[in-house]
Amino acid sequence: MIERFILDKNDLSYWLRQIRKNASLIAPVKSLVGDVVFESLEQIHEISLDHPLPPPSVKEFLFPQIETMFEYNGDEIKEIIDEEMRVVVGLRSCDASAIKIIDRFFAGETGSDYDMVHPNRKYKDPYYFSRRQNTVFISMGCNVPGAVCFCYNLGAGPFLDSGFDIQLIDLEDRYLVEADSEKGKGLVRRYDYLFRKVETGDLEDRFEALLSSISKFEKRIDLRETGQKIKNSMPDSFWQWVAERCFECGGCVYVCSLCTCFNIVDYNFSNQSGKRCRIWDTCLFKGFTEMAGRVIPQEKKEQRLKRWWFHKILYYPEQFKTFGCVGCGRCTITCPGHIDIATLSEKIMGWR
Amino acid sequence: MIENIYRPFKVIISEIKQLSENVRLFRLKLDREIDYLPAQFFMLGVWGAGEVPISVASTSGRDPYIEFGIRKVGKVTGALHELKAGEAVWMRGPFGNGFDLKTAHGRDIIFVAGGIGILPLRALINHILMERHFFGRLFLIYGSKRPSEMLFSDEIPLWKEAGIDVILTVDIKDGLWRGYTGVVTEHIDRIKTDFREACSYICGPEVMIENTVKELSLRGMPDHLINISLERRMKCGIGKCGQCYHGIEYICINGPVYTYEDIKKRLALYGA
Repeated sequence: MIERFILDKNDLSYWLRQIRKNASLIAPVKSLVGDVVFESLEQIHEISLDHPLPPPSVKEFLFPQIETMFEYNGDEIKEIIDEEMRVVVGLRSCDASAIKIIDRFFAGETGSDYDMVHPNRKYKDPYYFSRRQNTVFISMGCNVPGAVCFCYNLGAGPFLDSGFDIQLIDLEDRYLVEADSEKGKGLVRRYDYLFRKVETGDLEDRFEALLSSISKFEKRIDLRETGQKIKNSMPDSFWQWVAERCFECGGCVYVCSLCTCFNIVDYNFSNQSGKRCRIWDTCLFKGFTEMAGRVIPQEKKEQRLKRWWFHKILYYPEQFKTFGCVGCGRCTITCPGHIDIATLSEKIMGWR
Repeated sequence: MIENIYRPFKVIISEIKQLSENVRLFRLKLDREIDYLPAQFFMLGVWGAGEVPISVASTSGRDPYIEFGIRKVGKVTGALHELKAGEAVWMRGPFGNGFDLKTAHGRDIIFVAGGIGILPLRALINHILMERHFFGRLFLIYGSKRPSEMLFSDEIPLWKEAGIDVILTVDIKDGLWRGYTGVVTEHIDRIKTDFREACSYICGPEVMIENTVKELSLRGMPDHLINISLERRMKCGIGKCGQCYHGIEYICINGPVYTYEDIKKRLALYGA
């Protein structure tokens, strides 16, 4: 059951300051060169909530780009499990939706018939869940979607109905604070003197804000139709066309809030000591599937691109009953070849 | 605390046997009981080099030890080859589904191995010989590049004695070779069985698998009786790292064994 409260905008910084006493506080911050990135917040006033989505997603706080798993010294093995308390504020609905999905992925529970194939083989990832258990996400509904956004078409925004820790809805002079998870509710209850009760007018304002936001989306992307088309009628020449435009930079995967593939690598400090780390990896790189004896199942660039697309648009729905995309538009910003999900979907729909 | 499935345990090598120029059989002493199936795999590792998925070559319930046949092809297998008896490897597992034997009950079985694909099939053959009465006639076609790369020349006579019809073939023969030459598919017709009722277990290089599946299919073997063990790059073994995903499958948890029926439906491999 979602609990709703009202927080005066002037009280937000006080609330965050209190939160920071018990956890490290992460929020969008504008850097000196003008990029907005999620960072540990040094000064509360540096928080930058009015900017569009920061290009890097928040997945790095649950699944860092490089994460040490073990340190070894001879036969002595030390597990390195991150247990830091974090509160991440200022992520958007799309990010919060993505976390809902990767929670299921790292739990080994897709929530579909797919689980039934081998019910005894559910593995829960200890590194991910240690971070997840100690992190509270305070996401923001979007009153003004960005030019690249299409979360509405995917049910991942602009506001969420459930499945978040805490959601803030901007109602001009105040925030409507919605707490769904127990962790989220705890973070509100602990400072209950800051919050007041919701009145009917507040909910009416929420509804108005939602309608207004929905009407502002510039992109309308129907991935179901795209999926039907790539499944049935896209010729090889189309994938070659896509491959010609791919720089193999992996940018789309690194910014994607749902891409979670990784590699595991040992780094040696000396002859007998070192650390075992997992690092982000991507199926768009040729070496990703390379096996012993230089056998590469997906050698050609078009095969790799097709595999990424099929995974997100066709196989995700079979496994998770949802697309492998939340419509955040980060790949649109990042891709130098203009073959991101939104642009290419439009291309596919118009391809003859 | 969640159990750390990435944490390997230490096992001591009791014996190393050179099977061919670059393949060694590692026999490990287990200090705990581990049940595993043929074609299941373990992540074997050396700290500082990494981990690789290796399928078991020994048979659970028969052998008091666990064995892995490892070909030296890269960094981790190279580091494993550096190890001597008495030294340790780090392992975790077993992972994957392993061969399903129920569908083979009462049927003739054709094993088709290419190269080191014989290793998981050795585990299977020894398993099947343990419960011989459940199965019909047994056939093995085993192809290698050269006679010197043929593994288990000491065990093959035992299999023959146990009644397995063994066909050995090499791509490039030398002066001493008395067996057949050519790829495995050229010898399928030497098997005298009703292909429509028999089942098969295939392991080897991808091209060999593809051609073998086609030939067996052509002779009427039903898709669900063609069992294939696939090889993919894997880093986690538990369906997280994504390196082995194909179609809607993570081959490390839902595979590595698939029937041809599954492959058509779930993996979209081989043009299916």
